[in-house]
Amino acid sequence: MAELIKHFFNQISSPVMMFTLGTGLLFLFLSFPGQLTAPKVAGPLGILVVAFFIFGLTDEHFKMIITTPDNVPIVMMLFIMLYFTWYAMRKATVNDMRMAEGKGPLEKEESEQKVLVFPYLIFIEFVVALFYSIMLVVWSLALKAPLEDPANPSISPNPSKAPWYFLGLQELLVYFDPWIAGVLLPTLIIIGLCAIPYLDRSPKGSGYYSYQQRRVWISGFLFCFWMLWIVLIVLGTFLRGPNWNFFGPFEVWNVHKVVPLLNVNLSEFVFIKWLGWGLPSQWYLRELPGILLVLAYLLIPPAMAAKTFCKKAFQEMGAVRYAVAAFLLLMVIAVPIKMYLRWAFNLKYLVAIPEFFFNI
Amino acid sequence: MPPSKNDNKLYSVEKTTFWFAIASVGLLVTLLLMLFQDHDREWKYYQREFVKLEREKTQEKLDEIIKNVNMEQLQRLKEELKEANFDFKQKQDQYNQLVKEKESIQLPLISAKNRYQDLKQYYDSYKFFFEEDNEAGEQKEAKAYQEKLEKTAVSLETAKEEMERLEKKQEDIDQAIRDLEAEQKTLTDKISAKLRDQERYQKKLEKLKPSVVKELLNAPMLDFMVPTLQIQQIVLEDLNDDFFFAKSNKIDRCTTCHLAIDQEGFEDAPQPFRTHPSLDLFLASNSPHPLEKIGCTVCHSGSGQSLSFTWAAHTPRDEVQAEEWKKEYHWHELEKWEAKMLPLQFTEASCTKCHQGVVDIPEAPKINHGRQLAREFGCFACHTVKGFSAEGGSASGGEGAWKVGPSLLNVKSKVDSDWMIRWLQAPKKFRASTRMPSVFHLENTSDQESKTLSNAGIKGISRYLMIHSGEVPLQSPPPKGNPETGQALIKEIGCLGCHSAEGVHVNDRGPELTGLGSKVSADWLYTWLKDPKHYSPETPMPNLRLSNQQAADITAYLLQDRNEAFESTGIPEVKEADVDQLAMSFLIGRMRESEAEETLSAMDADAKLQFVGKEMINRQGCFGCHDIQGFENAKRIGTELTKEGQKEITKLDFGFVEIPHSRQAWFFQKLKHPRSYDKGRVKPYQDKLRMPDFGLTDEQAEALTTFLLSLRTEDIPLEMQRQLNLDEQAIEAGRFLVNKYNCQGCHTLDGVEGRVRSLFEDLGNAPPVLDGEGAKVQEDWLFEFLHAPSTIRPWLKYHMPGFGLSEDELNALIQYFALLEHQKVSFAPSDISTDQDILTAGRQLFMQFKCIQCHQSAESPGLTASFLAPDLVISKDRLKPQWVVEWLKEPQRLQEGTMMPTFFADGTTPIADVLDGDWIKQIHALRDYMWQLTEEQAEAIKSANLAAKTN
Repeated sequence: MAELIKHFFNQISSPVMMFTLGTGLLFLFLSFPGQLTAPKVAGPLGILVVAFFIFGLTDEHFKMIITTPDNVPIVMMLFIMLYFTWYAMRKATVNDMRMAEGKGPLEKEESEQKVLVFPYLIFIEFVVALFYSIMLVVWSLALKAPLEDPANPSISPNPSKAPWYFLGLQELLVYFDPWIAGVLLPTLIIIGLCAIPYLDRSPKGSGYYSYQQRRVWISGFLFCFWMLWIVLIVLGTFLRGPNWNFFGPFEVWNVHKVVPLLNVNLSEFVFIKWLGWGLPSQWYLRELPGILLVLAYLLIPPAMAAKTFCKKAFQEMGAVRYAVAAFLLLMVIAVPIKMYLRWAFNLKYLVAIPEFFFNI
Repeated sequence: MPPSKNDNKLYSVEKTTFWFAIASVGLLVTLLLMLFQDHDREWKYYQREFVKLEREKTQEKLDEIIKNVNMEQLQRLKEELKEANFDFKQKQDQYNQLVKEKESIQLPLISAKNRYQDLKQYYDSYKFFFEEDNEAGEQKEAKAYQEKLEKTAVSLETAKEEMERLEKKQEDIDQAIRDLEAEQKTLTDKISAKLRDQERYQKKLEKLKPSVVKELLNAPMLDFMVPTLQIQQIVLEDLNDDFFFAKSNKIDRCTTCHLAIDQEGFEDAPQPFRTHPSLDLFLASNSPHPLEKIGCTVCHSGSGQSLSFTWAAHTPRDEVQAEEWKKEYHWHELEKWEAKMLPLQFTEASCTKCHQGVVDIPEAPKINHGRQLAREFGCFACHTVKGFSAEGGSASGGEGAWKVGPSLLNVKSKVDSDWMIRWLQAPKKFRASTRMPSVFHLENTSDQESKTLSNAGIKGISRYLMIHSGEVPLQSPPPKGNPETGQALIKEIGCLGCHSAEGVHVNDRGPELTGLGSKVSADWLYTWLKDPKHYSPETPMPNLRLSNQQAADITAYLLQDRNEAFESTGIPEVKEADVDQLAMSFLIGRMRESEAEETLSAMDADAKLQFVGKEMINRQGCFGCHDIQGFENAKRIGTELTKEGQKEITKLDFGFVEIPHSRQAWFFQKLKHPRSYDKGRVKPYQDKLRMPDFGLTDEQAEALTTFLLSLRTEDIPLEMQRQLNLDEQAIEAGRFLVNKYNCQGCHTLDGVEGRVRSLFEDLGNAPPVLDGEGAKVQEDWLFEFLHAPSTIRPWLKYHMPGFGLSEDELNALIQYFALLEHQKVSFAPSDISTDQDILTAGRQLFMQFKCIQCHQSAESPGLTASFLAPDLVISKDRLKPQWVVEWLKEPQRLQEGTMMPTFFADGTTPIADVLDGDWIKQIHALRDYMWQLTEEQAEAIKSANLAAKTN
C-alpha cells in the first residue's frame, strides 16, 4: 500500500504532471474560493498536506531530503505560502459575501477604531519579535549549519544547485538559453512588478481584501507566484537530483540515472519531418516558421482579445497600457507553453539561430 | 485613551501582556538551552573520564612506590636526623652568634659596595673626559681631569679593599653556618631523595583531585578564564592544510580526547585513552616522527580540527566496527568530507607522502608489500603511475627492469599452439601459483556467447603468436640425463634461489617448476638451462654455469613431471562464424558496419584468425607484460593511477555491487573480483570490463589497496619530507638492483635473511652472508666477481649465477655494498709491507695457527662444510687489508656464529715469543704474509702438514 502511494506520488510529481495538476488545482481554487476556503474544507485539506509529509517521513530518502538543514526553510515556505494564500482568500471571500449583502468590507468597520501606535502596536510587535527570536534560536540549536568540505575548484558538486531563491530561475535553464532564463526573464519580472501600479489603476480593493472585484489580477498574480516561482523552487529543491535529472520524492538519487534527452528544433520539425526538404542553408529561411509563429503569438491573441472579450479592458486601459500588459502576460504564459512543448514534442527551440546566439 | 476592558477591540493589553510573559519565559529557556548546548561538548566527557583514569593510574603507581620504599632504611635515616637535630641544639648558641655577626656585617657591606660603585662611576667619567680632552688638545682641561682621575683612583682602591674584606668575612661566616648545619642537611636530602617519587606522585594526585574550584573554573560562562578542561591542539608550523584558495598551518586537536597517546603506561587503557602502539617510531620527542612536528592527521588523515567523533572523520576498519560505532558514538559516514581518516589497516598508505625514492620504506611492511606486488604482478604494464616505470622499476631504481612475463618473440620454439590455447583458457589450471592472470571466461564473460567469442579470440591469439614468432636453434642434450641426479641438483645447485619446486616455496621470483613435461621439449629446456639468454636475451633467468651433464640431468628430471589434467583439457572448437562475429565486433568500433563487412570479406580464414588474435592482444594488453612482435610501440591500456588515491568516489562506478561507497572498498573489490562491476549491466562483448583476475588473496588485495590509496599528490613541504643524500640515493639504487636480481633469495643482506638459508641444516653449505661485504672485499675484485663469478668456496654446491650485469649496474652494486658499510669506494691497490722480518714472523704465526687447515683451495676430507673457509691464496686479490686486521681481531663481531676462532681474545696473543707478543703487530704480520702467499707455498705447507700428521 505504502509503496503504491509512493509510486503514485513519484508519478504525479514529474514536472509536466505537477505543473498541470498545480494549475488545475489553482483553477479549482479560484473558481470556488468561498467553498474551498471555508474552515470546514480548508482545515481537512491542510491536515491532508501535513499527513502527506508525515507519511513521507517514513521513507528514508524523502526524510533525508526534507530534513536536510538546507531544505527545511523550503518546507516551511511551502506551509507558510499555503497558509497566507488561504488567509488572504478567506478574508477576501468573507468581504465579498458581506458586500453582496450590501455591507461594507470588514476593514472598513475596523478602521473606525482609533488606536495609538505607541504603546499598543509597538507592544504587539515587540512580543512578535520575541517569539521570532525564540524561533531563530531554537532553529539554530536544532539544525547545524550545513557546512561541507572546503570548496575545491576542480570538483563541482553534483547536483550543483543555486541558492534556493534562484532555483526557479535555474529550473528555467532547462528550457531556455542562459541569457533568457538568467537575464531576460528576471529583468521582465522586475519590470513587470514595477509596472503593476501603472497598469492597474483601479481603486477597487484598495485597503480591504476582495476577490470578486479583482479576479483577473489576483488570478494572474497567484498563477505567476505559485506556479512560476514557488512550484519551480520546490521542484528544484526536492525533485532535481544529480545531473539535474528529475527524481520523484520517494526515488533514490542515483548518480548514474540516464534519461533520453533528444530535443529537436522547430525548423527540423518543419523542414525535415513534415516537408521532407532538408534544412535551408540561410538562417532566415530556416527559422522563418519559428519567427512567424512567435510573432503571431505575440500579436494575434492580444489584437483578437481587444476586439472581443477584452474590449472593455482595452477601452479602459488605452492602447499602450493594454499592449504592455498583454506583452507581459504573454511572456508569463510563454514559460509554461515552452515547457509543455518540450515535454510533449521534445521541442528544443522555436527559433534557433546559433549564428547570433539567439535561441528561443 | 486606552480602550476599556470589555470592548470588542482589535487588541487587548491583557492578552498581549500574557503573551509577553510567555515569550519572556520562552526566551529565557532558549537562552539556557543555548548555554547548555555551547557547554555540552563530547570532548569534555572524555577529559573528565581521563582525569579519573589518570588518578587510578597515579594511585597505582604511588602504591607501588610506597611498597618499594625501604622502610627500614628510611626509619634509620629519620632517627639519625633526630640525633643530628639534637646535636645541633647543643650548638645553638654558637649558631645564634654567627647569625648575629652576619647581620651586623650587612650594613657596612652595603655601604661599602655603594661607595665603590659611586667612585667607579666618577672614575670612569673622569677617564672619558680626560681621554677626550687629551685627544682634542685641550691641555688645561685634560690636566684637571687627570688630577681628578688620579685622586679618585686612590679612593677607589681603598673602597675596593674595604668591600672585598667585608665580602670575605661574610663568606667565612656563611661557611661556618653551613658547617654547623651540614649533617642535618645531608640527612634531610637523603630522606627527601628517597621520598621524591612518592612526593611527586602525591602532588600529581593532589592536582587531579576533583574540587569545587575546578568545577567553578569549568562552569558555563566562567570557563573562559582558566578551565581545567581545555581543547588541546598541536599547531604544525611546517605542514599545511590546503583549502584550495588558502593554506593554513595544520592544526590537530586529536589529543583533546586521545590524551595519553604519547604517554607510556596507557597501553591497555580503553580508547580514546590508549597509548600509540609504537612510541619509539611515532610521537615520542626522540622518535623520527615527533608529535609536535608531525601531528596526527598527516598520517591518519581525517579532520584534525574537529572535536567530535563523527566530525573528525573517523573511518571504521570494517562493517562490524561501523555498526559498533553507530551504536556507541552515533557515528555516521561524512559524505562530503574528502580527507577521511584512513581505516587503520591502510594507514601505511600515508608513508609515501614523505618517503619517496626508496625501494622499501622502513617499518612499513604493508605498503612495501603492496608496491612489491604491484611490481611483481605487472600492474604498471597496463596502468601508468608516475614514478613507477612500466617494467616495475621505481623512480629511484631507474630503467632497465624486465617485463613481468616471458618474452614471446620466439615462443614457437618453446611451446605449441595447443598448449597455448589450454593455458589461455585457464592459466591456473596448469600452474596454480602462476602470476599470469586469468583473462577469459571470468564472471562477466561466462555466458555462452561470450565464451564462444573468447574461444575464438584465444585461438586467434595463439595463431597470431605462432605466426609472429622467430625461431632459435635448439641443442639436444648430448648425454642422457639422470632424473634422480636432476632432482638432487635442483635442490643443491641454486634453482630454489628463485623458483619454487618440490613443494619448497621459499622463493617465488621465477615460475614454480611443475608440469614442465606437459609444456616444453627436452631440447628447449636443455638449451634454456645451458644459456637462458640464447632463447630470450631479455630474460631475468641468470646463467647458472651448468655442465652439460648437469643440464641434461635437470632436464630429464623436470620433464618427468606432467600435468595430466591439463593435458586432457579439450581444445574448444571454434567455428568460422564465431571468428567472424568477433572480428566484426572489433571492426565496427572503428568503421561503419558495411565497411566492416567489406573488410572482413576481403580476409581469408587465417587472416581473420590472425586479425582477431591481434585485436584481442591489443584489447587485453598482453604486450604490457610480454614482448610480442607488432606491439613494440603499443600504448598501455589501463587507467592512469597516478592520483587514484584521491579519485572522487562518484567517479568510481560501483554498479550494482553492494559494498560501502569508499575508495578502499572499491579497490579491494576490483582487485578481488575485477569484473564484478559488470554485474547486471547490458554490454556488448567488446565493451565489457577487461581487467584480468590475478587470484589475489585477501592479504595481497589489502596490501595492493594500501598501495593504491597511497597514490595521491600531497603538498608536503620539501623540508618535511625524507630527503635522501647522495649516499642514500646510491644505496637505494643498489637496493633496487638487489630486489631486481633477487640477491636476497640466497644471500643474507641488508637486514634480510637469505630465503634459501632456512633450507640448510649446515649453514656452512648455504650461500654466504653478505652483510659487511662492502668493508670486506676489494672493489675491483667485486667488480670482476659479479661480472663473471668464480669459485671461492669449492665445497659449496650452490652456484653463484652470472646475471650478465651491465657496467652501470656493476658500479651501482659496488657503491651499494661499500656505502652500506660506510666505506669509501676505492680502486687503489693495497699498500702492504714486504719487510722480510715481518713476513718471517707472519709465516711462523700462519703455521702455528694452522690457518691452512680450514682455508683450503679444494675440498678436504674429514671437515664439515661449516669448518671450511675460502682459500687464502686469493685473499690478496679479494680482501681489503684493513678488514683482515679487524677480522682477525674479533671474527664474531663481524660475522656472528662464524667458525673462525678468535685467536686474540681480549687483546692478548697465545704466542708470546713472536714479535714481542704484541697482538696488533702479529695480526699485521699474518696479514702481510698472506698478501704474498702463493699457491705453491700453500701447497707446500699443506703437504708438510700432511707429512707431519702421518708421522
